[in-house]
Amino acid sequence: MKSWLSRRNLLSRLSIAAAGLLAASAARSAKAAVQKVFASSGAPRGYDPAMHKWRMAIDANRCIGCGLCAEACKKENHVPEGQYFRTWIERYIIAKPKPGSGEARGETLVDSPSGGMHGFPESIVPNAEIQHSFFVPKLCNLCEHSPCVQVCPVGATFDAPDGTVLIDPKYCIGCGFCIQACPYGCRFLSPVTKTAEKCTLCYHRITRGLKPACVEVCPTQARVFGDLMNPVADDPLQQFYQNNLVQALKPHLGTKPRVFYAGIDKEVR
Amino acid sequence: MTNAVTNVVAELIPHFEGYVYPNEATQQPLWSILIVLYPYITGLVAGAFIMASLVRVFNVKALEPVYRLSMLTAFAFLLCAPLPLLFHLGHPERCFEVMMTPHLTSPMAIFGFVYAWYLMAVLLLELWFDYRRDFVEWSEVTPGFRGTLYRLFTVGVTDVSDPALKLDFKIGHILSVVGIPSAFLLHGYVGFIFGSVKANPWWGNALMPIIFIMSAMVSGIALCVFNYMVLSWVRRKALDMKCLDVMCMFLFYALVVDAAIEGLDWIHRIYSAEEGFQVIQYMAREKLFYTLSLGQVTLGTLVPLLLLGSLQLLRRRVPDLIRRRMYFASGALILLGVLAMRWNVVIGGQTFSKSLRGVMTYKMEFAGLEGWYMGAALLLLPFIILTVFVKIFLSEKLPSTAPLEPHPAHAR
Amino acid sequence: MSRLFRMPPQVFRIFLLALGIVVVYSIARYFLTPDSFGEYGWYRGEALAELAKREPVYAGKAACAECHSDEYQALVKHEHKTLSCESCHGTGQAHADNPDVKMEMLNYGHCVRCHQASPSRPKWLKQIASKAHYAGSKCTECHVPHSPTEVP
Repeated sequence: MKSWLSRRNLLSRLSIAAAGLLAASAARSAKAAVQKVFASSGAPRGYDPAMHKWRMAIDANRCIGCGLCAEACKKENHVPEGQYFRTWIERYIIAKPKPGSGEARGETLVDSPSGGMHGFPESIVPNAEIQHSFFVPKLCNLCEHSPCVQVCPVGATFDAPDGTVLIDPKYCIGCGFCIQACPYGCRFLSPVTKTAEKCTLCYHRITRGLKPACVEVCPTQARVFGDLMNPVADDPLQQFYQNNLVQALKPHLGTKPRVFYAGIDKEVR
Repeated sequence: MTNAVTNVVAELIPHFEGYVYPNEATQQPLWSILIVLYPYITGLVAGAFIMASLVRVFNVKALEPVYRLSMLTAFAFLLCAPLPLLFHLGHPERCFEVMMTPHLTSPMAIFGFVYAWYLMAVLLLELWFDYRRDFVEWSEVTPGFRGTLYRLFTVGVTDVSDPALKLDFKIGHILSVVGIPSAFLLHGYVGFIFGSVKANPWWGNALMPIIFIMSAMVSGIALCVFNYMVLSWVRRKALDMKCLDVMCMFLFYALVVDAAIEGLDWIHRIYSAEEGFQVIQYMAREKLFYTLSLGQVTLGTLVPLLLLGSLQLLRRRVPDLIRRRMYFASGALILLGVLAMRWNVVIGGQTFSKSLRGVMTYKMEFAGLEGWYMGAALLLLPFIILTVFVKIFLSEKLPSTAPLEPHPAHAR
Repeated sequence: MSRLFRMPPQVFRIFLLALGIVVVYSIARYFLTPDSFGEYGWYRGEALAELAKREPVYAGKAACAECHSDEYQALVKHEHKTLSCESCHGTGQAHADNPDVKMEMLNYGHCVRCHQASPSRPKWLKQIASKAHYAGSKCTECHVPHSPTEVP
């Protein structure tokens, strides 16, 4: 009988210890929450993620396919060499229907040689046979219901308070699930860091008051960037929303992209 | 060397046709042979466990000779199940994060817990309660290192009195009942890892977990048939034909249900012909011809269905030797067919672009972390572990109690 | 309550083991969860600052205007006002930090990169078939890039 009793003592002691540990863990994280994140040196001071809502919008009518954005993105973000892109440009060529085919349109050809960062070669469809042709810049769609954030097993990719969807390179385990889950092909597994990478809206630039590199170099203002919470005078973003009927990519997937497109065709996916 | 040669050959093949997103064009597929093996091995676990619970929960007495073998099979394969996933990570050293800060909306994070639950709360416990009495007895009769090992396994509990054994039996039964939904959950979740990817029309499908569970049962039972026949052959012991007949009867019916559900899936895909159907159709016809039409459908499903089905009708008229060979052939074919099925899902789902405008070619190397050798090693590993388990826990030299009944003398 | 703990030995051992696992897990979790985890959401709050820390490569138009105000003033009056300096001259942060670092040299390719005629380009853009337009390779013989509508 005595041995049962001592066991009982042992048990209760153990449970108290366990409860104490759990409580301590909670207290510690509460304390951490008080610390201000951007107090660390090196980061832009005075930036409060809760005070911004960054957005990008694409006016495809204005894109001339020069590829400066894709090139600038590679340089700015040290994107690994090869077929890895945080932003790229697609060229759509919709051919005229064959005479007598009874079709409204011919075939649709899409290409993006080197992500369009060196421009585009002459189209293989002769000019006379082209019904429509246009360029579409692509980037992370910054989805409201990001499938990539949803599937990340460790919380390494996340929807930041300022409207960006980011990846924590120190926490990513490189499982690739987010890359599978992204319907837009915006993510890749970096061969250098072995973690997932994607467009961050140039987070290190926008927190310093600069524009993302692609927006900076775009010669035609096809890429529109702004802060919904702090509109400037003649805010290009507000004007874009005011003047255009917009659409999002693959809306049927329910990802609710926050990057809106103006002037794109149904063939764009 | 072989690596260099295969890579040269792969360069000659056009990498992709049509348009694929630039990020998809490199490093294809992202999830390689290792991720093919992961659902395969996990499925074998779930299937072997269901097979064992047929004895325990559904009281199929004829299967008792394979009860312990199936449990050990499930255990050996479960130990290897997360390895391919682990090796595949870009940062395997950070894998603990999945357990420390699991993101609860992620199927992969939940899998970590389902796995831990299944390993520790179901399989290990049930095995321990099954073997407890044996451990106590074996530790007394076995000298040396092995004896110490068995003593260690008793965890210091030497009570083998009647009420204690009765309790063991009762707990084992409860664990087995809990284990069935757990096994379904385990493999259903693996299916859900793919089924949850709505971006991919080949994967994002509500039937995916169910297809995975059914094919898991089929492959697990087939593995038990395979293991039982190989073990008897190695030990030169006569097979229990009645046990084998019943095992293969369950295998046949599981295969029928599995084939029906997968057929249903295809009918649904063809009938609804949604946005991505054209590219899926092209992929299934061109890129996956050998693994899908030949491997999965013909060799992995139709032939075993025919073999096992005919034996259901003509069992009494077919001599034992031929029947054994037919069973063995069906088991082996099903094992290959389910492997092909995993390949088709995992690799097939990555051979077309999510722009739905192009298909890619999978190049696979021999050496390297994601090559054939690694895959073969990972597939062999559970068999090696199982051999060790069989030597320790199914040794012929040791007396073994009837695994399921409390001691006959104590049975009511 | 005491009945609850009066367990058979095998169950008790299992119970102890389970408790041990929970305790080990809690301890591991306490030490292995990053400090700032959960500050904003299910992620490391510090990651935001770490990502923001990286140095820019492109300096931005405003940085150029600080020293090159003449060129800047010329540019904004003309057609090319929407262009950033770095659209043509290349990355500027290194030059802004240290003026001894030279900017990229410009050549003919910079002009035709945008102005080469293509059926894919929107109609509002001035486009030329470069070979037919001029046999030489120096656009600046006739055009001033900062004020393209003027002819020297």
